[in-house]
This record gives sequence, C-alpha cells and structure tokens, in this order.
Amino acid sequence: MKLIEALNIISEISGAEAQPFRVALVSGFTPLHLQTFLHAELGQLFPVHRVEVTTGSYGDLTGTLENLNTNELDAVAVVLEWSDLDPRLGIRQLGGWSPGDLGSILERASIYLEHVGSLMEKISRSLPMVISLPALPLVPIFLTAGWQSSDLELQLKGEIATFAAGVAQLDHVKLVNADRLDRASPPHSRFNAKSEWSTGFPYQLSHASALAHLLATLICNPLPKKGLITDLDNTLWNGIVGEVGADGVFWDQDHHSAPYGFYQQMLKALAEEGVLIAGASKNEPLTVAEAFNRPDLILPKESLTALEVSWRSKAEAVSRILKLWNVGADSVVFVDDSALELAEVKLTHPEMECLLFPYDDPQAIYELVWKLRDRFGRESISQEDRLRSHSIGSRAESGQRSEENGAGFSDALLESAEAEVTVSLRKDANDARALELINKTNQFNLNGKRITEAAWGKYLREPNTFMLTVSYKDRFGSLGKIAVMTGRVDESCVSVDTWVMSCRAFARRIEHQCLKAVFETLRKDQIVFDYAKTSRNGPITTFFSELLKEKPESNVTISRELFSANCPTLFHRVLELNNESPRSSLSEMF
Amino acid sequence: MSHHEARLVKCFRAVFAGLSDEQIRHANSTNVEGWDSVATVTLITLVEEEFGVEIDADDLEGFGSFDSLLAHLS
Repeated sequence: MKLIEALNIISEISGAEAQPFRVALVSGFTPLHLQTFLHAELGQLFPVHRVEVTTGSYGDLTGTLENLNTNELDAVAVVLEWSDLDPRLGIRQLGGWSPGDLGSILERASIYLEHVGSLMEKISRSLPMVISLPALPLVPIFLTAGWQSSDLELQLKGEIATFAAGVAQLDHVKLVNADRLDRASPPHSRFNAKSEWSTGFPYQLSHASALAHLLATLICNPLPKKGLITDLDNTLWNGIVGEVGADGVFWDQDHHSAPYGFYQQMLKALAEEGVLIAGASKNEPLTVAEAFNRPDLILPKESLTALEVSWRSKAEAVSRILKLWNVGADSVVFVDDSALELAEVKLTHPEMECLLFPYDDPQAIYELVWKLRDRFGRESISQEDRLRSHSIGSRAESGQRSEENGAGFSDALLESAEAEVTVSLRKDANDARALELINKTNQFNLNGKRITEAAWGKYLREPNTFMLTVSYKDRFGSLGKIAVMTGRVDESCVSVDTWVMSCRAFARRIEHQCLKAVFETLRKDQIVFDYAKTSRNGPITTFFSELLKEKPESNVTISRELFSANCPTLFHRVLELNNESPRSSLSEMF
Repeated sequence: MSHHEARLVKCFRAVFAGLSDEQIRHANSTNVEGWDSVATVTLITLVEEEFGVEIDADDLEGFGSFDSLLAHLS
C-alpha cells in the first residue's frame, strides 16, 4: 500500500457515528507513517467500525504500556525495536560503543525484556495484544566484521527468542511471523537512516506498510475456512487416472511427481486438524476407487468426508458436497488444475475461493500449499475440530440430512439416540470455541452480529450478563460444543443478545433445550431476543416461526407459557458441565 | 492545471482532506488548519513517494506552501 492510498482510505472510512474500534500502537520510536498504514489496514478490515489508532510517548515504550487505559481499548499493537532494549542499539543516541561496555547491553536488554514481558502479561489478561519483535538490522556495534556473526549479537537475539517464546504462551497474545515479514519486506531495505535522524521514524514506507498489514491481520484474526474440495487428476496426483489407470498416477520423487505428494501431505494434515476435505472429479467412480485403494496414497480415502465422482459438472459436485457439509460457500476453498472448471464453480458459488493448482510449476505448487496454510491456519486444534470430520462422515454414511434439507429426525430416532446435552452457564472470556461459534455461524444465528475478542471480554465482565454454552453427544458420536447464547438478566426478563448453534447440531431439538435451560435457570417468564433477519439465518427464523406461529419481527419475545405449549418432546439427558452429574434442572447453579 | 500541479493537489488532498482544489492552490502553513510538523513530514514523504524525488531535511521549513513545493518540483 502506498502512503497516499492509506491516507485516502482513512479519509473515506472515518464514519463518525460508527462504533469505535480503538487500538493502541505502542513503540519507542515516532510511529508516524506506521500509524497511518495501521489505521488504513484496520479500516479496511473493520469496515463497520470507526477505527482509532492512538500512540504513546517517544522513547518510552514501557511507560506507554504502563499507562494504557485498557478499558478504552480493543487491542494493543507493540512494535519493539533494538533501540528500545538499549538506546546504544539505535543511531539517535550516542551512548558510546566502547568494547568494554558491550556486555552491559546484553545485561540491560535482559532486564528490559523481563519488565516488558511482565507488562504484557498484565495487559493481555484483558486485551488482545499483537507484537512485532525487532525487525531492523543491528547497528555495527560489535567487534566482528559485518559478514561474521558476533557471539554477543547471537546472545542478544537469543534473549529476544526466549522472550518471544514466553509471551507467545500468553492468552490473547499473537506475534508477527518474522519469516512472513521477511518475505513482504526484505530485511536489507527496511531501515531509513535519514528519516530516523530527522524525525525519529526508522522505517522505509514499504516496511511500514508491510508491518502494518501483518499487525492488522493479527488484530483482525481472520477465521479459518472450514472445508477444501480438491480435484483429483493432475491435482491430487500426477496423471489422468481414466487414461493411465490407478497404477499410472503418481505423487512421488521417483516419478517426478513430488509436488503432488507435498500437496497431499498438506491435505492430510488439514484433515487431521479438523478441516473438511472432499474430492470432486469427472471420472469413472470405479477407476477412482481403485486409485484410492492404493496403500501408498498419502491422503487416504478415510481423510475425505466426501468424494463426488461422476461425469456431471464440477459445480454440481461442489453443490452436493456443500449440502452434505451444510456450510456456506464462503467457508470453502476449491482447488482444480482447470481454469475452466474453476470459473464454472465460481459462477455457481461466487463466494467460494477458487484456486488454480499449477501442475506445471513446482514453485507455484509450493506457494499454493503456503496459501492453504494461511486459509486454514489456527492456533490450536480444539475437540470440536477433531470431531467435525467424524460427525460429517457419520452423517454421510447414514444418509442423514440436516433439518434445513428436509424434515427433522423422528421422535423414535431421537429417543433412541441416547443424547446428552451438557449445559454450562460459566462466563469464560477465554472460551475460544464459543467466540469462534459466534463469529463463524451464519444459519442458526440470532442476528448475524460478530464480536471482537476485546468486546467479548468486556461484555462478559459486565455483572448482569450471562453466557450459556451447550455441548452435545449421542450414541452416534459427539459434536462437542455446538451452541452459545449470551444476554442480560434484569428484573423482569432475560434479553438475549447473541444466540448461535452449529449447523451440525440441527434437527436434534437442542435449540429447545437451550430455551428450557434459560427458563429454568434464570427463572424469568419472558425471553426477549435481539433478532434480526439476515440473508442467511433462515434456520433460526424457521425456529421462531414454529414457536410463534407467525413470522418473527425484530425483538422476538417468547414467554414461558408459549414455549411450554409449543415445545416438542425433548429426549436429552441434561448434564451440568462442572460435575457431569445428571440434573433435571440447573436452577441450583443460581 | 499542469500535470505536476494536479499530482501535487492530490498529495495535498490526501493530507488535508476536505480542502477544495482552489483552497489547496492557496494553501500554506498559516491558513490551513492542522498543518503542523507532522503534517509537513507526511506531506513531504508523500511528495517524495509520488514524484520519486528526495527532499533534504534541511529544506523542510522552506516548503510551507503549495506554491513553494510546486516551484521546487517544477
């Protein structure tokens, strides 16, 4: 991004009436254009907010951290540079480079990093924090010539590495990936000596832009995609299986096909991380089945939750897979070596990201695999991630379909399912799965509202708010945590601000169980929902329509009587999260 | 309006949003609200980026108006 583009973006997005999104940019140098770029990047990523980027005092990174008003902020971006650790590591302060003093730099840096780490630990308890480690080249302070690493320099970098490994363990803290920054901004072209000496801003514009982009992306923390659909011939393997047979397609070094194996390895890893993987191919099913029977396949058939093989269009195959997965096209990536097939799928599913598999360009295949890691990257693998593929696979095998695709399950099936619903009313701002559900769910979603990590923490700290989470399992398997409701309790009623449920949990009457739990535990006779129709929340609209016997408007109110009169039979065994003991009511929790 | 002048107007518009082209052509550090030292540095950096020129830090104070910058670039 050029500076003029950043300034133009800022002037276009500054909507005074929008809800603010406040970020503190903390650095020891003059943030100048970095502030501008960060503002512009965040403005693009948070288009419904009025972004504000505040800064601190020059040369006082720790003082700025100590004085942050965390209640007024939504996130903190800390940009460390060597001169913060010791001014002698910069070019503006002439503290002397006497060889005898060099050891004290290491000592001072160690003490400084310990102090910064403790401040970060304290702040990150209530605010998301993103950190960039020193990215500028070190000044020529050490004894060795520039082509030789000095032991002191290595020790200094070791101090930073130890510090980074420590703060990376903290909840709500994310670090800029140094390798990615290197790719976006080559280390040798980052420093601007003229600007540093004249204004105290040490970066070239290109570096400030690249760094701001990564900081903003970390603050935004984009949600990973849910599924990947891959073509087979000349994509998953080298060759056209219908022509050369199952034994004639390859993905190994011996047959000059290693990039295909590399791609398969990534898909296998993604499957194990909980990403839904499917194949779509224009082929004879029997021929493809033979290929998938090969024991040397790196991505085994079991890793796929669907395999659509026919001579019908790719777009149709993709549609069938989406229906089985019950996820939106915007959550899925499609990979194919044919630009025409990609265009056809894109035409039918404009929200889907369609990526060309560059079969004739190994370097581009390597880049594609990196792109997939970006699309599906996550910090850790949750229980729900592990369960997702299994539950979809079970559904595919049993031919079950979600409520959206047909009638709900019969009473007889639900009764025999031995379903257990675990309800928790523990307010936990660190429950990443709950926040993920709120920010990922589209269909059973009360109003489509998303919430930032910081706003989520603030909301839950308010004394009259509640948070209800629901996990589910039955004799067919576990779905993990699949529903979240948040709201407020006042004297007369319960107001629900957020209510989402995973599409995997449809048709099991879990939504009824949620309401039952709220009536029983919060002991109010009315629940008022901040309902708003969106382009995709048909399932919750249908749910309200069935209860109300009419189409819902905004602020849906459901009374205890109405719910009792229209609630179908519920067969779940209800458990409390904390002790797993069966309870017919959760009222004792309040 | 010359090509240089049009490009310089764009730079001024990016830094001082809301000024008309006419106001920009008569702009100087005394008649434009918000033209402080940070705005000067931003404006000069923008001009360097847009015109591919380098402006000496010692000359910053001499660029206190649209006219002076345009004259330098011409």
